[in-house]
Amino acid sequence: MNPLASLSPDDRALLRRRLRTPVLTFLALLGLLAVNVTLGATLPFAHVWAVELAVVGLMVAIILLVSMEVRKEPPLIRLFACLGFFWVCILIGMTLTDFLAR
Amino acid sequence: MSEGLAEGVGVARVHHFETVAQQREATTLGIWAWLITELLLFSALFLVALITRITHPEATVAAARHLKFWIGATNTVVLICSSLTMSMAIAFSRMGWQRAMVRAMLATAALGSLFLVLKGYEYYADYEEHMMPFLSGRPFALAETPAARLFVNLYYVATVLHAVHLLTGIALLLGMTWMAAKAGFLSRHQNWIEVYGLYWHFIDLVWILAFPILYVVNR
Repeated sequence: MNPLASLSPDDRALLRRRLRTPVLTFLALLGLLAVNVTLGATLPFAHVWAVELAVVGLMVAIILLVSMEVRKEPPLIRLFACLGFFWVCILIGMTLTDFLAR
Repeated sequence: MSEGLAEGVGVARVHHFETVAQQREATTLGIWAWLITELLLFSALFLVALITRITHPEATVAAARHLKFWIGATNTVVLICSSLTMSMAIAFSRMGWQRAMVRAMLATAALGSLFLVLKGYEYYADYEEHMMPFLSGRPFALAETPAARLFVNLYYVATVLHAVHLLTGIALLLGMTWMAAKAGFLSRHQNWIEVYGLYWHFIDLVWILAFPILYVVNR
């Protein structure tokens, strides 16, 4: 049984409009994961980890901005979300500065 | 941020807020404040994994080769699918389509459970391969490279902590689905679905970070 069969044309249009962003986000995340899995499975060149981490950064940005809707939130919530990642940058940056500079 | 709410869908204002908009913003801000503390917790674990890789590259690679790469990749797909169903539940809640919302929530819980089943199988395979260095009665497969023990222990701490978050999330989701199936829920508590959605997407985000940091970059 097709659950969409009982929907009116207006409802179908509404459904298409509301689910467009989640479905495109889903496809983008799957595509980026496929890139990382392919790179991880084949290891095509040295320092491939840099590309893999860049892809992960893109996936995280998509989840934050689109799935978690940070881009649509009021300024105070956007500030909170940005501050969280700012603290993570301090945590990782300061620590790696020490280890990478030895 | 809620947008385009259907007629009859909304939030019942509680007395200590002046407006529904203020109540919605305070609720979202509250969950974000908590998610940031969680982000810092997991970030510290991932940072230690990177440091282990920098300071003990050979041992880390040897340990990471024992991780079940394809189960990890499959689990990432499962969680990305669950993020889609959660986003659908949020969209349906805004549209006022209660039955579709409940089904999307159940699908999310089912995908979360599938993740845990696959993770459990992965742990079982690790047990069979003697890759549990914290078990005193079972010799560690990489005992000749002590630094591998560091990475494997860290792997378990990070993934078990994530699994606990996921298990808690599934329990909360099922409880909320039970409440959300009742008449009138969407006219009084629609933002619960949005707030919970933030938590679920965050669990997904943590695994999106965990999979490459633990499984992929160390190969």
